[in-house]
Amino acid sequence: MKFHGVKIEDREWIGGYTLIRYRWDGAIEPGQFAMARVAGYPVTFDPFLARPFSFYDHDGETASLLFEVRGRGTALLDDAPDRIEVSSPLGRGFRINGANGPVALLGGGIGVAPLKVLSRRLDALSVPHDVFLGFADARYAAVAGEFPGAKVATVDGSAGVQGTVLDAAPDLTRYTAVYACGPNPMLAAVKRAAGEDAFCQLSVEERMGCGNGSCNGCVVPVRDGGYVRSCIEGPVFDAEALAW
Amino acid sequence: MVVRERLAGEKLAVELCGIALETPLIPASGTLSKEALGEVGSVYGAILPKTTTPRARAGNPPPRIAETPAGMVNSIGLQNPGVEKFLEGLDAFDLGVPIFVSVAGDTVDEFVALCGRLAGDPRIAAVELNLSCPNVEHGGLTFCAGPASAREVIEACRDALSSKPLFAKLTNEGVVANAIAAEEAGADALTVINTIPALTIDASAQTILVRGGLSGPAIKPVALRAVYDVSRAVNIPVIASGGVSTGTDVAEFMLAGATAVQVGTASFVREPEEILSEFSEYLDRMGTTASELTGAL
Ligand SMILES: Cc1cc2nc3c(=O)[nH]c(=O)nc-3n(C[C@H](O)[C@H](O)[C@H](O)COP(=O)(O)OP(=O)(O)OC[C@H]3O[C@@H](n4cnc5c(N)ncnc54)[C@H](O)[C@@H]3O)c2cc1C
Ligand SMILES: Cc1cc2nc3c(=O)[nH]c(=O)nc-3n(C[C@H](O)[C@H](O)[C@H](O)COP(=O)(O)O)c2cc1C
Ligand code: FES
Repeated sequence: MKFHGVKIEDREWIGGYTLIRYRWDGAIEPGQFAMARVAGYPVTFDPFLARPFSFYDHDGETASLLFEVRGRGTALLDDAPDRIEVSSPLGRGFRINGANGPVALLGGGIGVAPLKVLSRRLDALSVPHDVFLGFADARYAAVAGEFPGAKVATVDGSAGVQGTVLDAAPDLTRYTAVYACGPNPMLAAVKRAAGEDAFCQLSVEERMGCGNGSCNGCVVPVRDGGYVRSCIEGPVFDAEALAW
Repeated sequence: MVVRERLAGEKLAVELCGIALETPLIPASGTLSKEALGEVGSVYGAILPKTTTPRARAGNPPPRIAETPAGMVNSIGLQNPGVEKFLEGLDAFDLGVPIFVSVAGDTVDEFVALCGRLAGDPRIAAVELNLSCPNVEHGGLTFCAGPASAREVIEACRDALSSKPLFAKLTNEGVVANAIAAEEAGADALTVINTIPALTIDASAQTILVRGGLSGPAIKPVALRAVYDVSRAVNIPVIASGGVSTGTDVAEFMLAGATAVQVGTASFVREPEEILSEFSEYLDRMGTTASELTGAL
């Protein structure tokens, strides 16, 4: 897997999340991700694997990642000096269907990450959309400020309505398309709430080894039987294709 | 093709069972997908896709991988589309270098049937028997992990393959005894080693995360010892596998006795081209060639 050393342009802490913006002039599709890590010589041995992150934003000159510090890999990225190493954009992103909307975007926790690029794309296509975000508490919910008009829920009720993202979202069946990213149980709940016939696309989160289809480590079960790789066939899937 | 033009020639070339390889590097089975082939250019002397089995295998349920210091534990469970689909898609692996095919069966008959199916296919330069995958359960290792069953499988497959070279891929446990048995049974080369049985536990969830095989730089000293010991016990070529992540690692395995060297897990975090360049620089620095290096120690 090829990694590129990139210069960090700026770093911001938004509520409970870290935003890293780096120089990247290539194209990015909404929902695509990068493998990222701190630099080592020639690679770091611990942590050994790079970590997958959705693209949070890009403007043609820079790209940004938004992440939550969970373990060793993300802690090191949070502390990284001025350079990190990233792969090119990977995976299959959200498919925008031709309908005029309205469209619903749902994010659970750090699942908010890919929704910014998606929202920008929908704006560019003049597709009206509503954003619904669920968080543990008000500290994390601070990132909702980056999504004007977003409806927010928090588990502890410290911001927005109390409950999960689905408590912030009215009837999902009235939307022509539903896009969601978050923990797998949330995605399964969104799939049910969107209904059988919905155009519903889910960005899943699986452990990744390589990010380029080689290890077969990142699989999700599919309805037709067996498993497919979320780094190649996903990370965004049609809800109906998934066996959960 | 740029890399090959730049680095080609006597210096990197090796010969393995009569097959000319432009470089001694080979992708380890199960670590290079069709989708990633474009990235590897002409770094490899031969291509070796993921193990194929008689019928499609869905593989194990996730989680299948867990990171460990300097490596990872995997339990993929030989997910593959089955030999017929595999052969339909084999042309995609044609990068203009020899193609080796890895096979695994649950019984001797299955191994033989697979070899029979591949024997007449002119696209395939050699067959590697995966006698050692720790992720297919038959009370621990595969049924053919010991010398007696390895001998039986290899003898039968040697016949079924007619003239095609047969490589036997051996696990670390009992590797020298298995290597001697494999040579006697007619193996043309030995791939040493596969992943090492390992376990990861998620303490906060109090669950087993992944029970499978360890790979990556963490296993390099173990693999190096196995390659060194096996090279001294047999008279057939040894192909190294286990923890290679730099050009110096390649040199070390060749000094220990390997004729060719497989790159697996490290290709998830580095470009194999960098490993080949480092190896090439090493050869320049030492004023030697790849083939001179084998067993020089
Ligand atoms: C397609 C995709 C997009 C993602 N986008 C984002 C994002 O935009 N922002 C963000 O904060 N997180 C995102 N994640 C999750 C992120 O990859 C994990 O939080 C991160 O890998 C944790 O690494 P760590 O070293 O901090 O944790 P550790 O627990 O130390 O990691 C140990 C191992 O487990 C893996 N792992 C741990 N938690 C997860 C998880 N939840 N999902 C997948 N692998 C995990 C790590 O990659 C690593 O291999 C995404 C995951 C995927 C698959
Ligand atoms: C994700 C993964 C999948 C693998 N699949 C196979 C396989 O299908 N057949 C096989 O013979 N070995 C398989 N292996 C083992 C590798 O080919 C190699 O022998 C082992 O990983 C040690 O080398 P490394 O440390 O360079 O990875 C797999 C290894 C990994 C990490
Ligand atoms: S992460 Fe290796 S196949 Fe997807």
